Amino acid sequence: MRFVLAGTTLAALASAPASAFAVDYLTLEQAAQLMFPDADRFDGGEITLDAAQLQALEAQGVRGRSARWTVRIARHGDATLGVVVADAVIGKFELISYAVGIDGDGAIRQIEILSYRESHGGEIRLPAWRRQFVGKTQAAPLRVGDDIANISGATLSCTHVTDGVRRIVAVVALARRNGSLP
Amino acid sequence: MKTHRLRAAAACVAVSAAFVAAPASAQSASEIELARRLDQLAAELASVKAELAKLQRERASPATAASAPDASASAAAPAPALAAAPVVASDSQAQGSGIALGPSTVLTSYGEIHYNRPTHDSLKAVADLTRFVLGLQHRFDEKTKLVTELEVEHAVSSSDDPGEVEVEQAYIERQLGRQWALRAGLFLIPAGLLNENHEPTAFYGVERNFVETAIIPSTWREGGLQVVGNFDNGVTTQLGVTTGFDLMKWDAMSTEGRDSPLGAIHQELALAKARDLSVFGALNWRGVPGLLVGGSVFTGGATHGQAATSSRVTLWDVHTRYTPGRWDLSALYSRGTISNTAAFNTPLVGSTSLVPASFDGWYAQAAYRLWSRGDLSLAPFIRWEEFNTARSFASLGTGLTPDAAPTERVVTIGANFNVGPGIVFKADYQRFRVNGDADRFNLGMGWSF
Repeated sequence: MRFVLAGTTLAALASAPASAFAVDYLTLEQAAQLMFPDADRFDGGEITLDAAQLQALEAQGVRGRSARWTVRIARHGDATLGVVVADAVIGKFELISYAVGIDGDGAIRQIEILSYRESHGGEIRLPAWRRQFVGKTQAAPLRVGDDIANISGATLSCTHVTDGVRRIVAVVALARRNGSLP
Repeated sequence: MKTHRLRAAAACVAVSAAFVAAPASAQSASEIELARRLDQLAAELASVKAELAKLQRERASPATAASAPDASASAAAPAPALAAAPVVASDSQAQGSGIALGPSTVLTSYGEIHYNRPTHDSLKAVADLTRFVLGLQHRFDEKTKLVTELEVEHAVSSSDDPGEVEVEQAYIERQLGRQWALRAGLFLIPAGLLNENHEPTAFYGVERNFVETAIIPSTWREGGLQVVGNFDNGVTTQLGVTTGFDLMKWDAMSTEGRDSPLGAIHQELALAKARDLSVFGALNWRGVPGLLVGGSVFTGGATHGQAATSSRVTLWDVHTRYTPGRWDLSALYSRGTISNTAAFNTPLVGSTSLVPASFDGWYAQAAYRLWSRGDLSLAPFIRWEEFNTARSFASLGTGLTPDAAPTERVVTIGANFNVGPGIVFKADYQRFRVNGDADRFNLGMGWSF
């Protein structure tokens, strides 16, 4: 596994526009600041998984999907508060962009929908639905119909975002075990 | 020639990236291999870019190169961070934001094949490609998209065959802000639980439930304008002005009106009579995860100045769905009325079917995900339905007013077997309390992506 720090503090990029389609609710930087308001800076970087690590995830029942992940590391002084990982999954027909904030202990801190493009199913933005993830770790099932309730009319969006969150939690846990992510 | 080869290589990389970004099979089991190949392609693309830049520098005049060597080098040389970036990111991600954009044109499809075998009359057993639908969505810009669906029913459409070709949806959607969107064109009416979510993977049982076919004429669409509002408190509201029904389409010699009163007079934007417009509103609340509570109402004139007396069609429903854990529970009640039908029915007395003044129905359904492994899952279900397509008739006088139809009661027991989110196999048994001859076994398969 390879973790690459962009080498720049990204707090200054908070107002950078994201030219995504349809409804852009947040940029990744805005989401990161919402999730970690105590952070005084966010270091940008990337987690890169090799084939063996992707297979290790597969063995855990988590599809690796991508070898590279965009992350923001929330810091306050010398302390690391957590990480924010950006991802996109297909909802029903189109991509849903979202970000997952994970505390230092591996627990999910917050989920934010960055952009949603479907004609139906935008209800996954609802705070009540996203709150179901808070505090859950890799030990949780993180599956719709199990510990995550579905939204009627948005089944595929719910399922795919939930699968994506489960994957991100596993990737971050793997990166931390390998020492490539603080 | 070398430049051509480089362009070809770059094109291959772009095509590969587009393929990976496409929704179909984007999450297949071979993704790990694809991701690995993408990384390899990304590295090769970086190498190709560097080589192309080198060639361009070599072609540039020595004088120019000599006059600005630093600028040329900095513009052509790929930055290390960029060289390491995934190919998909360069094509489909907002720079630096981590937000993927996806393709602007998306091909979708759903379809279903049924086998119905009446238990008391096997001669009536039929197998049918009930519907095959192709959808095309295209985003014109970041706020505006086109949504279309073209459907073929019953496999073959010709003058000698039972099939139909229909445009099921064709509307433009414009996002007006964070919470509001506007739709214009031919769209599905937001009535009940099924009409807007009618793909075979979205409902239990081989056939759609009777209430949402006989009372709510799914798949029910009209042409017009609609605003959609999504709010953070879980409320979704939809309001619109559309075309409506045409009572003059009623065929008193046919049983079609008995099967579905509104299905017999819907227009589907096919040279639709449009003197009288209809309005609708729907309100749904999803404020608690797993719970949906909502209702809808649709009302509009249905005679369009073609009759001496104006008639109005009104249909409303209330519905709920609750999905705690492995359970999927739902219930719905819907009622429709057609006003001033006496004048219309009087000359039709003695015909096969007269226009009802009211019709209604309800159902309750429970499903449970009994077993799952990987992307496979099995969910048995049971559904109880009661519906009456002619609950009452307008008075035509003693001896002339038709009797109300008996209320049919149907219990359906079966199971859905899902292969991932996009494929479903179904089996069920339906028992009819009034029309016992209709008891049947059903098998079906469907897909949606």
